[in-house]
Amino acid sequence: MTAGPADAWRSSPSGLLVLDADGTVAGANDTFLDWVGRARGDVVGRVRLSELLSVGGRIYWETHLAPMLHVDGRADEVALELRTPSGRMPVLLTAVVERTGAGEGVRVHAALSSARERSRYERELLAARRAADRAADQVRVLQRATSALSRATGIRGVAHAVLDAAVADLGARAATLWLADGSGALRLHGSLGERTNEVGGLPSDPVLRQRQAVPDGDRVVVPLHGQAGLQGVLALVPRDDPGAEPLPLEVVTALGEQAGLALHRAELYEHSATVAHELQHSLLAHDPPVDPRFEVTTAYRPGVEALDVGGDWHDAFLADDSVLSVVVGDVVGRGLGAASAMGQVRSAIRAVAGPGVGPARLVQRLDRFVDQVPTAAMATMAYVEVELATGHARYVCAGHLPPLLVRARGGAELLWGGRSTPLGVRIPGRERREGTFELTPGDRLLLYTDGLVERRHRLLEESLEGLAVAAAGLRDEPPGAAVPALVQRLLRDERGRDDVCVLLLGWHGGPAAG
Amino acid sequence: MRARDVRAAPVWPRAGARGRTYPVAVDVLTRNNVEVRGRADGPLMLLVHGFGCDQGMWRYVVPAFEDTHRVVLMDHVGAGGSDASAYDPARHGRLDGYARDVLEVIEALHAGPAVLVGHSVSAMIGVLAAVARPDLVDRLVLVGPSPRYVDDDGYTGGFTQDEIDELLDTMDDNYLGWSAHIAPVIMGRPDRPELGEELTSSFCRSDPAIARSFARTTFLSDNRADLPRCTVPALVVQCRDDVIAPAAVGEYVRDHLPRSDYVLLDAVGHCPNLSAPDQLVAAMRRYLAA
Repeated sequence: MTAGPADAWRSSPSGLLVLDADGTVAGANDTFLDWVGRARGDVVGRVRLSELLSVGGRIYWETHLAPMLHVDGRADEVALELRTPSGRMPVLLTAVVERTGAGEGVRVHAALSSARERSRYERELLAARRAADRAADQVRVLQRATSALSRATGIRGVAHAVLDAAVADLGARAATLWLADGSGALRLHGSLGERTNEVGGLPSDPVLRQRQAVPDGDRVVVPLHGQAGLQGVLALVPRDDPGAEPLPLEVVTALGEQAGLALHRAELYEHSATVAHELQHSLLAHDPPVDPRFEVTTAYRPGVEALDVGGDWHDAFLADDSVLSVVVGDVVGRGLGAASAMGQVRSAIRAVAGPGVGPARLVQRLDRFVDQVPTAAMATMAYVEVELATGHARYVCAGHLPPLLVRARGGAELLWGGRSTPLGVRIPGRERREGTFELTPGDRLLLYTDGLVERRHRLLEESLEGLAVAAAGLRDEPPGAAVPALVQRLLRDERGRDDVCVLLLGWHGGPAAG
Repeated sequence: MRARDVRAAPVWPRAGARGRTYPVAVDVLTRNNVEVRGRADGPLMLLVHGFGCDQGMWRYVVPAFEDTHRVVLMDHVGAGGSDASAYDPARHGRLDGYARDVLEVIEALHAGPAVLVGHSVSAMIGVLAAVARPDLVDRLVLVGPSPRYVDDDGYTGGFTQDEIDELLDTMDDNYLGWSAHIAPVIMGRPDRPELGEELTSSFCRSDPAIARSFARTTFLSDNRADLPRCTVPALVVQCRDDVIAPAAVGEYVRDHLPRSDYVLLDAVGHCPNLSAPDQLVAAMRRYLAA
């Protein structure tokens, strides 16, 4: 006799099952029983299919498959794992629900086929996908961190960017950074995140000698190596939420490498910036002359946005016994180059100014001077000579903003005369021009650089008007108080992006008036 | 220094936490795919699905309350028709984050306090929501609750730590299997012509990466300490035979909630909302009428 349908069911290469409504096995073929290594009597009517699955499969059955069978009446090609005597066996399950009779009665027909090959293939696909995801994640995190590190100025800025990248980009719960001081000793710099006290103290020496991120107890530690040695060390603790993923060590390592180099660069940069600051400071540090006939008050406020020094300067000196020279100027550029050019121009002015020269000729000579000193070309300045006996003043504005004359009797006026081009810029047929004005005792003259008045979203005319009003309002303040008050008032809406240089001259009158 | 030199520097937008920025006012109802049914002037009943599925889990329960309640359904972020882009690993790495989503839905409806019905992990999400904002939650119905799935000293959660690790490994290893039902199948099905070009099954679809993370959040959370802090009355609904949340766990929840009622359904499995909706509805009606 040939094999009938019942035999075909029993010996099918697929595992075949009939299940009750609650998933209890009501019938199973030999193939299935063979896979799970159990006798028919131990299975049929005794266990539910979900009990024969791995834990993952069991939960998947309860949370996904059973609901789908209820709602859709079937499930197709679902990957599950059977628990078998030789371990977990990947299978694909297809199941359909059959309504039996008119009532609630249902049964489920299920077919399982071995999926070892598919499973291996899926695993390879998955591994490839994970590797690609990881690489993409790493690139994304590093791009963001590198961009933040390159925008950061100074060691403090880089340190902040490192901590921010650890918490915001890598998803650490908290991070702590130690930085090497001048002697190479590591000192706590700061922490970011939640419950930062749990990050712990300075890692031990063996950990610090690593070249990559290493687990250290509950935390991950990455030494930050620059080109010239250890710049610092970063410790991160992962989030402890149930859904949190562990910290990706290779990305932490890459962040550590970038951070080490950025810290090294910042250190070099700060060193050069310090030299420039010291140079500028020494150039501007001279006290103005002290004389009963006048009073000079100066202020210099460096911009906060850039670390480098700017090329703003001020100076006041006696061109001869009876003539006072005051000047405020501005050299193009920043840093050591600008500071040194500023020093040269400032010295040149002192050398050139003297009896019989006057503002216009002084600028002509400076034009020739800056031909030899290209870094000083395009510098601007307002230069004023005051005859101390009479208050008669001559001035030039070489590409610079107009001086402000604050009258003792009230009011203030911008001096728009004596205008010409920046130093080294000559227009054929145009001589350097001078303007003149007369001071009366108690008048004040304000020279300043553009950082005091230029704003991103305001017309220069409005800013100058505001300056005139503010300066006039401070007329009765002593100069030592008026200058800082003026700077503060004009910069209150701005974070002080740019350098600001201010010089205030008060003329008390000649000997006759005194 | 001349101002033009600094103005050349570009101004970079500051990235938000984790580098992602969300609109200040996320449209909560869109985010959670909120559906409102039933009596517009009825008391609010919010039904929240558990791990693995979506608001379709309540299809046999909703009709029973449409005459008496304003019945609201939602999908957790990452599930069903929710906006998966609203998923935030920090917020949704904790059940508290999901509880905040639920409270925001209630607030957005301007109709609280609500009868909050949570299935599976959303039972505990409901408890957390009630602890945080007892003013927004009138009663709790906890279907198959478990405050901790992993066994602990003197506590039976139903799973050993090894088993949960195996589950999470399985989800990692079996990525295609677990996500097989994500992509809606839109090709024609010759064996089921009645479906035509429709989706064969959009039920139980979820974003695979979020599902994996939701599994970690669900099965690794321990919220036992939150139970005594819940002052809102709660009905614990337990199935007779549930491998995900065994009866001992349901009893634990009953014993540690200050104001609890308990009902044991003669049902098998973890989803009585599908397998025994009549029993579930009857238990809820009795409880809500009391």
